[in-house]
Amino acid sequence: MPYLGSEDVVKELKKALCNPHIQADRLRYRNVIQRVIRYMTQGLDMSGVFMEMVKASATVDIVQKKLVYLYMCTYAPLKPDLALLAINTLCKDCSDPNPMVRGLALRSMCSLRMPGVQEYIQQPILNGLRDKASYVRRVAVLGCAKMHNLHGDSEVDGALVNELYSLLRDQDPIVVVNCLRSLEEILKQEGGVVINKPIAHHLLNRMSKLDQWGQAEVLNFLLRYQPRSEEELFDILNLLDSFLKSSSPGVVMGATKLFLILAKMFPHVQTDVLVRVKGPLLAACSSESRELCFVALCHVRQILHSLPGHFSSHYKKFFCSYSEPHYIKLQKVEVLCELVNDENVQQVLEELRGYCTDVSADFAQAAIFAIGAEKREQRGDKKSLGDCCQVSPTKILHCRCAATKRVPHIWLPCGIARTYTDQCVQILTELLGLRQEHITTVVVQTFRDLVWLCPQCTEAVCQALPGCEENIQDSEGKQALIWLLGVHGERIPNAPYVLEDFVENVKSETFPAVKMELLTALLRLFLSRPAECQDMLGRLLYYCIEEEKDMAVRDRGLFYYRLLLVGIDEVKRILCSPKSDPTLGLLEDPAERPVNSWASDFNTLVPVYGKAHWATISKCQGAERCDPELPKTSSFAASGPLIPEENKERVQELPDSGALMLVPNRQLTADYFEKTWLSLKVAHQQVLPWRGEFHPDTLQMALQVVNIQTIAMSRAGSRPWKAYLSAQDDTGCLFLTELLLEPGNSEMQISVKQNEARTETLNSFISVLETVIGTIEEIKS
Amino acid sequence: MIGGLFIYNHKGEVLISRVYRDDIGRNAVDAFRVNVIHARQQVRSPVTNIARTSFFHVKRSNIWLAAVTKQNVNAAMVFEFLYKMCDVMAAYFGKISEENIKNNFVLIYELLDEILDFGYPQNSETGALKTFITQQGIKSQTKEEQSQITSQVTGQIGWRREGIKYRRNELFLDVLESVNLLMSPQGQVLSAHVSGRVVMKSYLSGMPECKFGMNDKIVIEKQGKGTADETSKRCLRQESCGKQSIAIDDCTFHQCVRLSKFDSERSISFIPPDGEFELMRYRTTKDIILPFRVIPLVREVGRTKLEVKVVIKSNFKPSLLAQKIEVRIPTPLNTSGVQVICMKGKAKYKASENAIVWKIKRMAGMKESQISAEIELLPTNDKKKWARPPISMNFEVPFAPSGLKVRYLKVFEPKLNYSDHDVIKWVRYIGRSGIYETRC
Repeated sequence: MPYLGSEDVVKELKKALCNPHIQADRLRYRNVIQRVIRYMTQGLDMSGVFMEMVKASATVDIVQKKLVYLYMCTYAPLKPDLALLAINTLCKDCSDPNPMVRGLALRSMCSLRMPGVQEYIQQPILNGLRDKASYVRRVAVLGCAKMHNLHGDSEVDGALVNELYSLLRDQDPIVVVNCLRSLEEILKQEGGVVINKPIAHHLLNRMSKLDQWGQAEVLNFLLRYQPRSEEELFDILNLLDSFLKSSSPGVVMGATKLFLILAKMFPHVQTDVLVRVKGPLLAACSSESRELCFVALCHVRQILHSLPGHFSSHYKKFFCSYSEPHYIKLQKVEVLCELVNDENVQQVLEELRGYCTDVSADFAQAAIFAIGAEKREQRGDKKSLGDCCQVSPTKILHCRCAATKRVPHIWLPCGIARTYTDQCVQILTELLGLRQEHITTVVVQTFRDLVWLCPQCTEAVCQALPGCEENIQDSEGKQALIWLLGVHGERIPNAPYVLEDFVENVKSETFPAVKMELLTALLRLFLSRPAECQDMLGRLLYYCIEEEKDMAVRDRGLFYYRLLLVGIDEVKRILCSPKSDPTLGLLEDPAERPVNSWASDFNTLVPVYGKAHWATISKCQGAERCDPELPKTSSFAASGPLIPEENKERVQELPDSGALMLVPNRQLTADYFEKTWLSLKVAHQQVLPWRGEFHPDTLQMALQVVNIQTIAMSRAGSRPWKAYLSAQDDTGCLFLTELLLEPGNSEMQISVKQNEARTETLNSFISVLETVIGTIEEIKS
Repeated sequence: MIGGLFIYNHKGEVLISRVYRDDIGRNAVDAFRVNVIHARQQVRSPVTNIARTSFFHVKRSNIWLAAVTKQNVNAAMVFEFLYKMCDVMAAYFGKISEENIKNNFVLIYELLDEILDFGYPQNSETGALKTFITQQGIKSQTKEEQSQITSQVTGQIGWRREGIKYRRNELFLDVLESVNLLMSPQGQVLSAHVSGRVVMKSYLSGMPECKFGMNDKIVIEKQGKGTADETSKRCLRQESCGKQSIAIDDCTFHQCVRLSKFDSERSISFIPPDGEFELMRYRTTKDIILPFRVIPLVREVGRTKLEVKVVIKSNFKPSLLAQKIEVRIPTPLNTSGVQVICMKGKAKYKASENAIVWKIKRMAGMKESQISAEIELLPTNDKKKWARPPISMNFEVPFAPSGLKVRYLKVFEPKLNYSDHDVIKWVRYIGRSGIYETRC
């Protein structure tokens, strides 16, 4: 690979390109140009031969032209002055009799990403919009968007927008779709292309003429249209019915989403739609295209959150095949444990047991967790219940909140083990018999959580435990085992002896967390079986206080030592917390989430990444958008390595140091507010999802924290509910906001007005507001 | 929208890179290589997020295709696009391999230029694309071709151009099915389904109107109702025909099929694109003819020996021949030697794949064949029990395992004077194994 010594290569190619003999021989000339492109693909800097390449663009050979244009589009930003030389040739090509040449030239010209090119491309684009060949029109329409992008966020050319709107009626389907795409980008600041009734109906009628990409795109744009009457709504749904059965899964999902959103007031229609897409979705789930299968499975899981029994009769479709890739197997296991019901529980458990001995340790562990019905976020840390309930019962709730905040949806208790405890415990116990390290550790962790959630299985778990200590090496597993021995030690005859082994080896123990767990467990066991434990507790405390180097462990040891000095009753009061909490999971689970809560996320990346992960991704993106200093390409800055964590940190601290600083205690009078509100135009309007009741005081408090004052607010529960807010930043710019909840609507409408038009600060203000409202929404649910 | 499209070989070297939007930089190319292709563990997901950029990848043999975007896009659509891209490339130069990609490097850039503009998918029909791609290059365009471009893109039907003429009107229908099976060791079918495609290759003049008929249960019952009202008669008819009609779980069609007609009359009528295209895709789960049964018998003799006996039975008409049969019997990791005896075909122990591979060239229906193997194991102190992966099978049979039959394909062309009888029609059925596994 010629990554090194690119200078020689450039020199040699330059020579070849200048050689008149080569220039005369078309094939040889083209070969040299091909080599340039090849090096460019490999990442070599080829901008050195720009001049020669520009010369090569003046040719009749279309292939050569295409190659040179490709080259120019890549390097034009680096050599804007030289690129201008090529404009002449391009302009000439734009009036070539061959539509293909015209299209090619126009497309390339619009793709030259360099300042100052706008004035040259404007006229050719306008000509292209009226070209008789639709091929050229397609290119020209997208060219408008490219031109707008080059301008940055400058003002919108009204005449051009009108022209594009009229081209929505073009004969060629691709021109129509491109118009929508182009308008969407040009009008991004104003909320995108407007879909009114005539446009919506026109698009609906053209749907069947479009190709699959167009259909998917148009379905997405139609989401924006709000039918005027119920009748119209059902007409639209009838018209789109056939797309639920399209041959393209993307179109099927797009249509499903549109149905779910349009019919948000009609739950029975939504359910009906989900029943009808069952077939296509199942087909996608068992299709040979694995990636598509993966995406479909993600969406199946999404649907199952609202309709738990939806795919139950098809559970066999979700059995894993040996040769399937890892990611599909993991998804299928997740789906399987949500499908369990009284009829199929035996078969599903039998199947899951088979997976537990899979060669891939990862997959085996996932299957075991599935049996234990502990839904764990794949990327989240494995913070688990046991850790939270060490100290005192009053703290449990607190800890739990902390844990869930970090990784939402840790537990999903509608799982198998809660309802079918006996079968599950039996299977898990059998697995222990295999004496495999990676299996035993996960089984013991599952036991710990099970005992906490379903106290009725304690007896069985206690009988299964003896002997597993030999097969556990990792920190998580050891912690779980020690916790179990401590809390339920009085039922396990050899508990003190197992713990004694751990105490003997405490010096060579590498994980501080295990030592902490050991301290707590031994103290607990001491309370129930003092005779057997007293001696080793002494030794352990001595070791922890005198020899241990880890401060946290030492502190814990000292704490327990002093606690023991106070007296045994005090120790009992603090350590003997409840041993189980069957209600815990139920509290966590919002039983069945309504379809509307995820309909807007359907067919996006949200179900693919998982809601929590997506939230972190989009939060960072939001912050990046707000900050004008950050150059567009910073995330792939030329030199630095690409480490997501680093970027995240950098971006997260930006909002604090960034543009927006709201001034505290800036209270406006109601009169002044009203006057200003009426005199200003709405700068930004937005809709956030919102459901159910809440307490206005909470909102007011939360807003206060970020220095947004509440001027007036309707009483809780009244419909429509309104609130007026004001805030001012350090430059004196005022932000006036109206929050509006319409009766029966699950959305909160936000309108913001600003007394100085500055988009950056407006954007940051809105993101602050979004965060606050999002947090309240989270607390509420 | 797609911000960029990259193609890598298995080492992670970039073969093709095309960027459509400013927000995707050159570093994205390296980010994917480092985080996914060179990652130590196996692929976690086909969608990877690196520094807020989403990478969608598919793999074809040892080539990676990755689409990159920063937007919140429809994942299904992006993957469909990548598949389409693969299809289009395959239509131009056959198998997608490193060598082919390197050799057709210019062509791929040309294709990428036409299929995507500013990251938005444009025309992707192979037939329609041919007019824009100058694969061989130099050939300059005639007046006629120029007008074709205009007519092709302004015509009412996007998938077929006007004025196609053939001396011989011919059409080929392929019913291609892949049968998937998961069977328990006791011979119980855990799950089985057939996913099939009807692929049509048409060389027909003008704008022919085609009508396709098959033994779909709903259609046949409808017709039965039409001719004979008495239920007894219908029962008789069905009994006499045996299993003549099949129940299709769901089916989807090429864009050219008029769906409204299908919904109302369940008839499939269309104006076909020129050349090859996929008319229909379907899936069945009921009454599948499983071409082969695999009966495994594994016996552990002591700690160092394993006896395996596998019987395969073919279950179709004796006059038909199955081809390319391959049975793959997994062996434990600590295998030291294998003795195989088989009555038919050739069997070989492949240590690198940890499996005995048994190949039979041809096998007629209603036959039985068996293989027995003695596997010697090295004694290990590894207590890990052997997981016993399933026995898998590959084969090809000349019938449709779903039972689908083509009843007719009629061609009408009112403007040109050729009738249905003048068209030469060919129908072929091929059933292949998908994932065909028997647990042991």
